Amino acid sequence: MTSSNMNCEAFDAALPDYLEGTLDDSRRGSAERHLSECVRCASLLRDIENISKEAAAMPDLVPSRDLWQGIEARIAAPVIPLAARPERQRRLVPAWMGVAAAALIVSTAGITYMLTAHSLRPTQGSAVAQVKPIDNRPQTNAGSDSRVTPGSNAPSPVDVGGPGIEPAATSRVVTGAAPPRQGGIPARLASQSTADREHSDLVYGKEIQMLQNIVSQRRAQLDSSTVAIIERNLQIIDAAIAQSRAALARDPASHMLDQQLTHALDKKVELLRTAAMLPAST
Amino acid sequence: MAAASNLAHLAMGDSTDVALAAGGDRQAFERLYQAHANRVFSLCARMSGSRAKGEELTQDVFVRTWEKLPQFRGESAFSTWLHRLAVNVVLNARKSEGKQASRTEEGDVDDERWDQTARAPMYVERMDLADAISRLPAGARKVFVLHDVEGFKHEEIAEMMGITSGGSKAQLHRARLLLREALER
Repeated sequence: MTSSNMNCEAFDAALPDYLEGTLDDSRRGSAERHLSECVRCASLLRDIENISKEAAAMPDLVPSRDLWQGIEARIAAPVIPLAARPERQRRLVPAWMGVAAAALIVSTAGITYMLTAHSLRPTQGSAVAQVKPIDNRPQTNAGSDSRVTPGSNAPSPVDVGGPGIEPAATSRVVTGAAPPRQGGIPARLASQSTADREHSDLVYGKEIQMLQNIVSQRRAQLDSSTVAIIERNLQIIDAAIAQSRAALARDPASHMLDQQLTHALDKKVELLRTAAMLPAST
Repeated sequence: MAAASNLAHLAMGDSTDVALAAGGDRQAFERLYQAHANRVFSLCARMSGSRAKGEELTQDVFVRTWEKLPQFRGESAFSTWLHRLAVNVVLNARKSEGKQASRTEEGDVDDERWDQTARAPMYVERMDLADAISRLPAGARKVFVLHDVEGFKHEEIAEMMGITSGGSKAQLHRARLLLREALER
């Protein structure tokens, strides 16, 4: 079991470097002489080399179920087509930004209402298209998503002040379903029927419901503190949405309140998207 | 996707689908998934020591890939980039779990307690190599899978795992010895 240059204990110590090929010539020579004389160490070396070869040749494993559906559900967040933003990674907005944005919405909704209540009040006697405040018009800064659902029915963008814009009294309107986002320009339609508005509400509702379902299904996979933060943020955003709707009910002609509501709805969608795509146990 | 289609796709390379997927094309991304899912799953399952966990991690890897694709610059092959990303996802998941879970779980034996606990799972009858790998202590298993199965170098493993190259070599040797013992060779 021994040789003149190396015994089994010394060979064991040198074995990792021997296998890596990092022994100097002298020690390698000693190890090889020992191997030629020692059955135990030769067997050890042969076994380890075989294990490494077998490991390298192991075939790929196959998942027991279709994993794509779960992946697709997590990446297929956008239903409402929104214009591309500069970088898709911005979808992963830190939770604190959601809180900050929601808090900003809450704090500014009332101020906005007060500032705009008089300046944007409809002309006396003119018709306000709709009191219902649901609005999915584009919002410049809200978390949009570049992944537009193929085949979605995105209406053409309408420029502010374009020929379709009606006087202030009737411009308390929203876009049709699935509005596009145009960089820095909030798109508004000249008018919106009740049916349009209900459809817009439906689109937002479906999007939010779908995302809530995904988040609900993934709840057990997420860290409990992360879930708690998400829920707190959603409560704040829901409060902002409720405030904006209430303010719009009192002043349906306010463009700024419209924007606030849209922003809050977008924030809710964005937060849910982020939650839906969070890796497990992060 | 059919196997033949997969082979054709692999033969053509991923570059077109990578570019399309980076631009938001989900169908192209699904083709990338189909082409690489088994390799990624194999990595995840073997590193985690659990097929169920491997499936969960595989989904995390591809969701993360979807997010990170716009950052892929083609400086390495897509498959290389993907596997590096997969390793990071697995290692980060293990770190995250390690903060929350107790260390009593079989697969999560840490390095400090390695000598005391590593042998317990190995006292079984004859088993095959895949089963024996899954029963290795977590640190040794990860290094063994990364080095002997996936072909990473010790320097790369050390960087990814936040250990020294010497530590990687030591873990690998321990893993090999434990596997030899488990396989009764």
